[in-house]
Amino acid sequence: MMDSSVKIINEWDIVAARQLGRNVAKELGFGTVDQARITTAISELARNIYLYAGQGEITIEKIENEAKKGIIIISRDAGPGISDLRKVMEDGFSTSGGLGAGLPGVKRLMDEFSIESDPRKGTLIQSVKWLR
Amino acid sequence: MDFRDAMLDNYKEILKTYISDQTEQALYLSEKFSRKLLECKVSPEEMISLHKTSVMELEPDLPESLLLSLDILLEVMMAYGLAYREHQSLRTIQRELINEIEVAASMQQTLLGTKIPSLSFLDIGAISVPAKQMSGDYYHFVSHENGAISVAIADIIGKGIPAALCMSMIKYSMDSMPDDSQAPGDVLERLNRVVEQNVDPTMFITMFSGLYYPENHTFHYSSAGHEPGFFYNGEKGTFEELKAKGLLLGVDKKAKYNEYERKVEVGDAILLMSDGVTECRTEDGFLEVDTLIGYIEKYIELGAQDIADKVYKELEYLQDFQLRDDFTLIILKRMA
Amino acid sequence: MNISIDIREQELQTIITLAGEIDAYTAPKLRETAFPYTEKQHANVVMDLSGVSYMDSTGLGVFVGLFKSLNANEGTLKLVGLSDRLKRLFDITGLADIMNINTVAEGGVE
Repeated sequence: MMDSSVKIINEWDIVAARQLGRNVAKELGFGTVDQARITTAISELARNIYLYAGQGEITIEKIENEAKKGIIIISRDAGPGISDLRKVMEDGFSTSGGLGAGLPGVKRLMDEFSIESDPRKGTLIQSVKWLR
Repeated sequence: MDFRDAMLDNYKEILKTYISDQTEQALYLSEKFSRKLLECKVSPEEMISLHKTSVMELEPDLPESLLLSLDILLEVMMAYGLAYREHQSLRTIQRELINEIEVAASMQQTLLGTKIPSLSFLDIGAISVPAKQMSGDYYHFVSHENGAISVAIADIIGKGIPAALCMSMIKYSMDSMPDDSQAPGDVLERLNRVVEQNVDPTMFITMFSGLYYPENHTFHYSSAGHEPGFFYNGEKGTFEELKAKGLLLGVDKKAKYNEYERKVEVGDAILLMSDGVTECRTEDGFLEVDTLIGYIEKYIELGAQDIADKVYKELEYLQDFQLRDDFTLIILKRMA
Repeated sequence: MNISIDIREQELQTIITLAGEIDAYTAPKLRETAFPYTEKQHANVVMDLSGVSYMDSTGLGVFVGLFKSLNANEGTLKLVGLSDRLKRLFDITGLADIMNINTVAEGGVE
């Protein structure tokens, strides 16, 4: 049984998180395009932890409900939190540079997305992609 | 997955044609195909996957290394895909914003509408052209019960939507002013207090306020940092600046505004303007006051509205039809 | 349509030298760059405008904003090196009466 969490402390941990995500996605039967989307979303979340929170954790799990199977990415950190959630979810806002990057990008790559942030506790992001 | 299958068949056909005989026709078809992809919002990574599937089906003996390279290509195109999706959503937002601005601009026109009084003794003409959709210039006429005519011209420093919002405020403060406080200095002092309290500290307004008394044909005026107007002496055919001192509205709430007075004879005219008129830029630099006076002089015998229209046409031509600032010109000409 | 902003912080004053055009396009840059220097207590800001070739009313708005900010923080603003055209703009708007304005360039004062 593979460890389903990766601690993000330095940039190379992003690769480990991607690898974990790719393995799980492959096992579930996601095609190459969706695998690329899932790993890109993981990169984005892990990079956010690395850049803004200093450290945190990416957890990847298989999920299942009555009708479908999917993958969930959970990003957790105890960083400074995000004061204006609406703003970071806005297109064209990304500070980490580049078009299309940032949390709106993750939201678009995945099927479900939720975010909670508290300046004292940090940020928790959960995002799901369902197998079609 | 019907759609993907149809696209796949279509693409395979194009590939097959091109691989067998490299015609321009096939290249043209692929151009059309790429348009279709955009239309159907197919992302770059999906397209690469489609390509990979197609070549694998068409050419089963391709070396593994070539196919593997497509995985890298797909990964590299992810960022383009994200940028593309963001672009799509920003375009939608942009379209919404443009629509909103158009609605706001036409609302502004309705809100700020003022009727030019039609009088036997005074011929009045006015033209106001915004540089952008929303104007930061404003003018206003009021015919008072005692027969006096108020005229105001204002320029909000700053352009576009913030200026337009600010102007609506000015308009309503002016509308709610009691009919007995018509004196230009009082009007400015009152507005100055409104602006000082309510407007962002980096936003300011220049304003010229005038009052024409028909019984003795005098023109009273005050200025809050506004571009001086001109007085045309019909008998001598000379122009003179309507000098008036006064601070911009919104800088100092205790500012006082002196009132000046001018006797107006038959044939005399008063010309009021926004700084878009004197800050007109031409190829050789700035519009000189003399040039402007030259234009006004050229048309001074015409009706007031004609003068305004013609002078605007000349200045528009001079600036190559590119207005950098909102433009407003008002002409009051004593007829009898 | 460009502006260059050069800032020299000295012991008693901050000298901001501007060159180019100050209009709706460049005014935000000027405001953002210069504003922090007006927010310190008792700051003395000297702005040298001898290289400014054009300024419209938006630019004027920036100077009024800086002036107000300095006043609120008990600082001073001095504008030097104004061309005749710029001087006229400050005269018309009544700002010349409340601001410290000098047509001589920076070296000529103090």
